[in-house]
Parts: sequence; C-alpha cells; structure tokens
Amino acid sequence: MMKLKPLVLVLALLAVACTKPKEKAAINLNLGYEVNGKSLVTDTLCYENEAGNQFLFTEIQWFLSNIELKSEAGDWIMLHQQGLADTLDISRVYYIDTDIPESQTLHFSPVKPDHYTAIRFIFGLDESDNRTGLFTESPESEMFWPDLLGGGYHYMKLNGKFLDAEGRLAPLAIHLGIGQNEDHSQFYQNYFTVELPIDFSITETSENQLDLTMIIDNWFRNPNLYDFNEYGSHIMQNQAAQQALRENGNDVFRIGKPTDNENNTTMENGNRFAEKFKNVMQKAAPKPHFWTWKSVKERMGSPVGTTENRQVV
Amino acid sequence: MKLNKNIALVCGLFLVLASCKPEQNHYVPTPYELPQPAYFPSRNNIPADNPMTEEGLALGRKLFYDVRLSGRDGTDGIRNCASCHHQEYNFDFSGSAGLHHSVMPLVNLAWNHTGLGWNGGVATLEDMVMAAVTSPVEINADTNQIVKYLQKTNDYPELFEKAFGSREITFINIQRAIAQFVRSLVSADSKFDRYLRGEGQLTEDEMAGYELFCTEEGADCFHCHGGGGLALMTTNLFYNNGLDDEFNDPEDRSAVTGSHRDKGAYKAPTLHNIAVSAPYMHDGRFTTLDEVIDFYSEGVKNSENINPLMHHVMDGGVQLTDLEKTQLKAFLNTLTDETFLNNPH
Repeated sequence: MMKLKPLVLVLALLAVACTKPKEKAAINLNLGYEVNGKSLVTDTLCYENEAGNQFLFTEIQWFLSNIELKSEAGDWIMLHQQGLADTLDISRVYYIDTDIPESQTLHFSPVKPDHYTAIRFIFGLDESDNRTGLFTESPESEMFWPDLLGGGYHYMKLNGKFLDAEGRLAPLAIHLGIGQNEDHSQFYQNYFTVELPIDFSITETSENQLDLTMIIDNWFRNPNLYDFNEYGSHIMQNQAAQQALRENGNDVFRIGKPTDNENNTTMENGNRFAEKFKNVMQKAAPKPHFWTWKSVKERMGSPVGTTENRQVV
Repeated sequence: MKLNKNIALVCGLFLVLASCKPEQNHYVPTPYELPQPAYFPSRNNIPADNPMTEEGLALGRKLFYDVRLSGRDGTDGIRNCASCHHQEYNFDFSGSAGLHHSVMPLVNLAWNHTGLGWNGGVATLEDMVMAAVTSPVEINADTNQIVKYLQKTNDYPELFEKAFGSREITFINIQRAIAQFVRSLVSADSKFDRYLRGEGQLTEDEMAGYELFCTEEGADCFHCHGGGGLALMTTNLFYNNGLDDEFNDPEDRSAVTGSHRDKGAYKAPTLHNIAVSAPYMHDGRFTTLDEVIDFYSEGVKNSENINPLMHHVMDGGVQLTDLEKTQLKAFLNTLTDETFLNNPH
C-alpha cells in the first residue's frame, strides 16, 4: 500500500502536465484604412487614384467573415465573436463601419494560445451566409442587397464624391455584392478569400492585438485600372465593374497599422482641391458618358463574370 | 374606573390596529406583448422604466384622443395628439399644421432608434410627448395645469392607478402612457407585407414598380427606404436628398449633430401607408406622390452636401419614363395597410 502512494502521486502529476492548454486567450483585430500612403481622412477632397480621379470618401461600410488563424501545425481555427455562441452564423460575420468607431476592433474569445503563421478571411459573405434575413437589426440590416439583384447583403459600400470629367463634384457609391447579368437570370458571387502571412503568438496573459489595414486606393489599380468616369458612380448592376474590383482586391489588405499621417501634405491638397471647385457646382448637368449595359456588352463581347471563388494569396 | 380605563385602552388599541390594516393592492398591470411582424427587427425601444401594459396602453389611447389633455376648457387651438395625428392619414396630418416642419406619421416607431422628428432631435417618445404638449405651436399647455386638471376628473385617477399604481397623476406618467400607446401603432399588413410573407402576389405593374424601387438603374429608392430586406421601409437615417442647393433651415440634421456633412439632411420617413401620408418632405412642399416621383425623376439638385447615394443627381434624377412613374406609384400604393388605418382600437 505504501508503495502505491508515490505511484499515484506521479500519475496525478503527469495527468496535470499533459492537460491540453485551455482556450482562455482573447485577441483583438484592429482595422484601419489607408489611402495614398496615409491614414484615411473622410469628407475631404484630397485623394487621387491611379486613373487620375480625384475623390473623397464619406463613409466605408463592409463585411468580412469566417476569419481563421493557421497554427504552426497547419490547422485552421475559426474565430468567433466574443459573447456569441459558436453555433450562430452571425458569430462569424463582422460588420465594420467608419462611422461606428467600436466596429473597428473585433474581439475574439476564447482562442487557443499558440503561435500562428497566417490569417485567412472572406471579404464579404459566402453563399451559405449571404442570405436575406440573416440580419434583422440595424446597422447590418441596412446593408441588404435586393433579392431581385441576388439577395443577401452588400459586401461593401464605399460612399463618397469624385470630380468627374467635367470637373463637377459627383456622388460616388461603390457598392460590391452579388453580381447579375442583364435580365437577372444569372448571379455571380463576387466575394473572395484573403490569406496573409503573420507571425503571431497568442498567450493567455498578454494583450493579443493584430492589425489589419485596407489600402483603399488598391481597389482601383492592380490588375485593372479603375476609372470612375468609365465605370460610373454606381455599380450594383455592373458586373464588369464588380469583377474588376474583385480582381483588384488581391492586394487591398495588409497586416499592420495604417501609415500615420505625419505631415499636412494630404490635407493641403484637400484644401486646394476643395477651394478650386467650390464655385463650379452646377445645378443641372448635361448627361455625361457613363457606363450603360449596352456599352459593357459591346466592350466585353460575351457573358460577364464567373461563379468561381478566387483565393488570393 | 379601572375596568373602564382598561376597556378604553383595548378599544383604542383595536382602533389603531384597524387603521394599520394594509390597503388592498389594486395595481396588477397586465403585460402587453408588442407584435413582432415577420422581417421586422426584434430589438425595440421600449425603455426599462416604461414597460408596455394593457392598462398603460388603454390610458395612453384615452389621453391621445382626449381634449382634456390640454388642461383647459374651451375650444381654442390644438387640444390633443389626435388634433394633428389622424389615424386615416397614417397618424399624420393631411395639410399644413402651421409647424416649422410638417407632421410625421406615428407608425412602427417602436423600432426607431435614431431619434424622433425630421432631424432626430427628440430622443424618445416620452420626450416627444413633453415637446408636443408644451410647444407654443402645438398643444401649448402647461404640464402643472394639465396634472391639476386631470386630477379633478372622475375617471383619470382610477385609470392612472390601474396603469401605474397610484391615483396621484404625474406628468411623467402621462408621457409614459401616451408613449405606450404610440409604440403599439404597428402597421405590417399591407399588400406588400403579405407579398413578403408569401400570402399574396403583386400585379405586373406593381412588380415592375418594385423592381424600379429596388434597383440602382431604376428609381433606386431602397438604399434609404428599405424593401424586402428591410421591412420597416426606412433605415431611419438622415440624408440630404437634393431637394435644395442652399440650406437655411436652422433645424435640419446638422443642428443636432453639429456636422457640416448633415446640412440639408432629414430623416427618411417610413413608406408604410405613404399613399395617405401627404404632404411630403420635411416642409410639406409636395402634396401628391406624383410630385414626389417627378422630383426624384427630374428635379434633384446638386450641392456639396448631397448624399453620395443620390448618384443620379448628375442627370437631374433617375429619369423615369411616364410608364415607369405609373408603375412605381402602383408599387407604393401596395404599402397601404387598410387594417391599420381603419382599426377601431
């Protein structure tokens, strides 16, 4: 009997030592925006894209979903919103709005402490999540995408203004979501997957912070030069524009914080533009050349879009 | 003598004990369950300190229609809520009420979280009651006078006791009762609502109008006024929709937010029962739906403050044909809920 006691003690110690680390850690994913190499400034006409369009943004509203981390062992681990049951679809879908500061930080818990080498997420929502009625509360419900156009929700609304070819300050509503052909008989899933390498160790005790930045001007350049005057001020029913932006999404996101706006160059440009065009607002305007379905079909020559998802690495 | 003193003492004790008998409790409110129509949000704005009860709602309804709410005799001026909020007009006012902004309908407000009024400057329905009752251009009443007036009536003290547990009338409880009634005004049984629920179908013209409503290449109404994915038929947010290109209203949305971006911006009203909610816009400038449609089709004015969602402004508007205007109007007419407009309760 006496000989058994040390054995029991050893076994007990082994059992404790071999217990899996508990998933008690939490992480914050901090979202930021960058334009022309500087942190985003809204409501100021101070940006220029590769096509030479001068523009401003008033607000950016978007979804990302199914955020996963890749462990060193190669396993992908789905993250869920803190406070929501894992079984809820909406625990994996995140609404971000530049007018709602608290939406810029996503909280995930519990997360297994480990070292992670990559992050992966869906820009927008995939077919299984993107269904009308997923959200009934505001602000998410305001992102609804009409059923006639495919249903579900906008992936993103980039709202702002730009100087058109005639130098007039025109509204700009770059809304991404499900695309469709002209008679709405075919729909196209324009979401895409983003995967980025990280070197990120999560522990129970430390504040685990990860930063993700959207480089807004990258929506408009690579591989497709995106000209607002060519694609028009609104694109929900323009699958050619949707596809161009989807392809450009390959380098829109990067790990890290936005570059700080350390000097006033951007603001000075903004003030110069604003002053120059302050007095040229026209009350009525001749119809400018914007995109029409007919011009798209003529240019494309064949049915637009595909139904495949493209994983961006 | 000693015996008489003892008897007197016992009788006195008995009288004291009898007077201490607890009063019978008459306050047993009956919870009222707010309807939850299909596709409506589940989060409402019922405050914790004013839960909805049958008794509170009944009292609020009585006050809403009672000229004694003004706290005065005679027939001068606006006397109660129903003076301006007519049920047959979506609890709106048909015509000019002589206010700074036109009257807004009282419908589906239980799901409004962005403030009341065209600029969202009034936080809650309870606050709105105070504002309307005391406004010199509305009921123009004194709250103390109202309380004294109603306290002297034969009917109200008991109704307040049933609703709030006390026969002593307070103005805060007047606010709460009317707010409960207004929250109960739920419209969700129009032809379009039934279509969304799969209980009916739209005509060809109505469906064409719905397509115009829901598409950017059509009339593009849905970004601000909802649709199948937003059954309230409003985002309850604020927009500069291009009515003007100069903004001099000291009570627009920017007066509340202090933001230059909100100059000329007003709340997008619900389109439930819109066909009977004339006049339209914050200043009531349009008296018919045809005028509204014409405005959005050809009359939109550009300015630095126009909302980005009004991207058709560079064409002057969405440029609808006569047929499209007819179809859009046909769809808007499907948003009329006769059950709500004619409900006797």
